[in-house]
Amino acid sequence: MDCPKYFEDFSVGQKFAFGHYELTKQEIFAFAREFDPQPHHLDEHAAGASMLGGLSASGWQVGGIAMRLCAEHLLNKAKAVGGAGVEECRWLKPVRPGDILRLEVEILELTPHPRRLVGFVKMLWSLFNQREQTTRIVTTPIIAMRGAT
Amino acid sequence: MSANGKDMQAGARRELGSHTFTKDEIIRFARKYDPQPFHIDPEAAAQSAFGGIIASGWHTVAIWMKLAVASGAFGPGEGASGISPGFEDLRWLKPVRPGMTLHYSTEIVSKRSLASRPGWDLVTIHNEAREADGTVVMSFIGKVFAKRPEGQ
Repeated sequence: MDCPKYFEDFSVGQKFAFGHYELTKQEIFAFAREFDPQPHHLDEHAAGASMLGGLSASGWQVGGIAMRLCAEHLLNKAKAVGGAGVEECRWLKPVRPGDILRLEVEILELTPHPRRLVGFVKMLWSLFNQREQTTRIVTTPIIAMRGAT
Repeated sequence: MSANGKDMQAGARRELGSHTFTKDEIIRFARKYDPQPFHIDPEAAAQSAFGGIIASGWHTVAIWMKLAVASGAFGPGEGASGISPGFEDLRWLKPVRPGMTLHYSTEIVSKRSLASRPGWDLVTIHNEAREADGTVVMSFIGKVFAKRPEGQ
């Protein structure tokens, strides 16, 4: 499928698949040291004893990887001009060192802006690991330019 | 949000400290986690609707996490584990530009016991980043698992 460019090029139900991204232990440690220095992200022994049952990436880093995949493969090719937020995010499975992640994007809803030449493209982002488990889902409205019609 | 539970009541608010965003760190974060032109390319950003580089919204939230951990809100020995099943209603209300200083906070909204995990609560928290004049720049509703203090 051609990559959508303007708001009008998106349609409800469209699906896109992007990836992969392999997350190394070094990257998990680097992110956690800077932004989320909790034992379940930095210390294998403490992580094993925690609710997560082993070393896992910060949820915010996992969010960044989904964002990166969507930016590289979809938003930077379209006339996307940012996001206003996230309606919901659920972390369903821990992301472990060496996990290979891929992103599926589904278009849920299209709402033209009442006054400006943009529209809201509500997307569901589902991030899968190499075992085809959904690790994280996000619903987010992305703002896209409307085409010159 | 301490282990003795006295701070774990609804309405308890904690100031987490502040952070000033530099252009270099905005670009460094976004190159790795949000490589859109208005976050990483000063010239493209100048031509965009934002008129210049702005921080990734994920960066402004990551700094909330950093300050929450540094302030002792979560972590070893604390009631709140820092492990979360997700969040809701994350709003990026105003672009964050190089040189801006944001003041972060967290406030307990409610908590409920977890039938699936005896001895644990799910605590709902309202988190914000504000400018010095009080303008809210980012907010979200977080959820965190917390171990109930002994005897409660």
